[in-house]
Amino acid sequence: MTVRALIGLAALNGAYAVLGVTLLWALRGLPRWADVLRLAGLGYLLGLATFGIVWTQLLVVGVPFGGWGVVLSLVGGTAAAAAAGIVLHRPRPRGFGDPDRHTSGPALLVTACGIALAGLLLEAFFRSGRLQSLQAYDAWAFWVPKAKAIYYFGGLDHGLFTTLANPTYPPIVPILDAAAFHAMGSTDVITFHLQYWFLVVGATAALAGCLYRHVPPWLLWPPLLLVLVVPRVASGLLIPQADVLVDVLFVVGVLLLALWLRDGRGWRLAAAGVLLAGAGLTKREGLFFAAAALAGTFAASFARRRAAWPRLLAVAGLVAVAALPWRLWYSTQGIGGEAPSDAGAGGSVDRMLDALRLSFDVLFDTTLWSVVPVVALVAVGAALAWGDRRVAAFLAVVLGLVFLGGAWVTFAFRELPITAEEALNPIVRYTGAVVLLAAVATPLLLASVWRSGSEASS
Amino acid sequence: MVAFCVAVTLVALVVRYPDTFADANETARANAALDLVDRDVGAGNSVFADQQLLVQARGLIPRDESFAVAAGDPQPGWTDLTAGSAEPFLRYYLLPRRLDPNARWIVCLGCDRGAYPGAEAVWEGEDGISILRRAS
Repeated sequence: MTVRALIGLAALNGAYAVLGVTLLWALRGLPRWADVLRLAGLGYLLGLATFGIVWTQLLVVGVPFGGWGVVLSLVGGTAAAAAAGIVLHRPRPRGFGDPDRHTSGPALLVTACGIALAGLLLEAFFRSGRLQSLQAYDAWAFWVPKAKAIYYFGGLDHGLFTTLANPTYPPIVPILDAAAFHAMGSTDVITFHLQYWFLVVGATAALAGCLYRHVPPWLLWPPLLLVLVVPRVASGLLIPQADVLVDVLFVVGVLLLALWLRDGRGWRLAAAGVLLAGAGLTKREGLFFAAAALAGTFAASFARRRAAWPRLLAVAGLVAVAALPWRLWYSTQGIGGEAPSDAGAGGSVDRMLDALRLSFDVLFDTTLWSVVPVVALVAVGAALAWGDRRVAAFLAVVLGLVFLGGAWVTFAFRELPITAEEALNPIVRYTGAVVLLAAVATPLLLASVWRSGSEASS
Repeated sequence: MVAFCVAVTLVALVVRYPDTFADANETARANAALDLVDRDVGAGNSVFADQQLLVQARGLIPRDESFAVAAGDPQPGWTDLTAGSAEPFLRYYLLPRRLDPNARWIVCLGCDRGAYPGAEAVWEGEDGISILRRAS
């Protein structure tokens, strides 16, 4: 590990954030510097997803991937977003604080404590990751070899991409890893664990920033901190695989959709579209996650479907158009076998029940996820009874669909044994998306219950 | 209801946060205690009993050439993963060198050297592991 590699990684991730924040500025405007700071995490994820989506298409059509290509795409993307912002007459950010908002002393104290505890934890994760050797099987068996292939050979090398394990897995993670190798100046598979640390920092900032104005800090920070420290999440955060990225892109996308259902602000829909498109190019289940999120949004916006559904169709179109070229590429390379062995009605009812039971056992296993799913379940119930019923129903539907999707995977892929053993069945990894969404949904749901209680008593 | 959820979450947080923080510190200490080769080889330490094979393969096989992996019967010194995981690990570890069954360079894991007439052993380790080079 060298200082040069660290600086390179920091610069690359800073460039993702600048690209994404500029996109946000063009999409919604950022009136004050406090908005820039609050939405910097979301901007980072948007920049990362945009970079991955664009480079997936470029690699499919044969554009070589190199250090200068990475720099030019980031600079060009930022310039294009800035030009769009200028054309749309977005004002430059001015001043820091928001004169229309007053934050109480206790709320500031809770926010400061939350940021301090999150910061302390992230600092510990940084130290644990900075000298980490590459251990995870999937990482060295195919994720990192694909990244090395892009780095060394400049593209989707046919010899490697068609013969490594899981050739149909989408390429955003190898693209981001290859960009990290360029930024570090070598295929330093030790320091590059910090690429995943930057992702965790960005995701934490994105979730906190998106929720900050919608929930009081005492409801925001406890679930957010808890999900970072539950055993299965904490142990997997810095593993250089696609699970954390697909979960984060999906969950932040769903959060934006939930907020869009409340206030109808178009920029949320556009940002959610980019994040869900990114999820669809990160892992195969990312496409299913995106479909579940959009299905829930279609259902929740039924009452104002004339205005909402054309916009949602545009988002669905963006996700599909982004996903298609990669699927066409691997089809033309003679790679198949993505479909499960029992996609239709071939599986038995017993296996279906066993799969459901396994998903249920895994979700409510407190040794993996602590109390996060239980608290979320109570929050969903409370919000359906006393809070924002539309958002609660939306989140419940999305959580339910994703949960059932996990059971379907076990049911449909007959070669998977009914077990939570991670080397044999991906259900634990898959359930991470449900748990992260549950943790993020909890403050939003509880805040709606709290507000309805306050209004009723006043 | 809201207070109950927050209370349960806070109790869980108070229990989990110190453990996770301590685990991260322990991992940082354990990683710092490794030497450079251990870190670089990573999972390969579980695949190969002797790191020297990996170090020598990177040193001997030029970056623009390819290599083959020939495995014979498991030898007493091998780990449980050597026979099954050696090829995919070498494929990852030795990139940009490509895997090619007809390559000039052969990573021999207890292989039948008679199957490669004219190949010379450029490095030999223990437990039947060697690196062979065929005449071009």
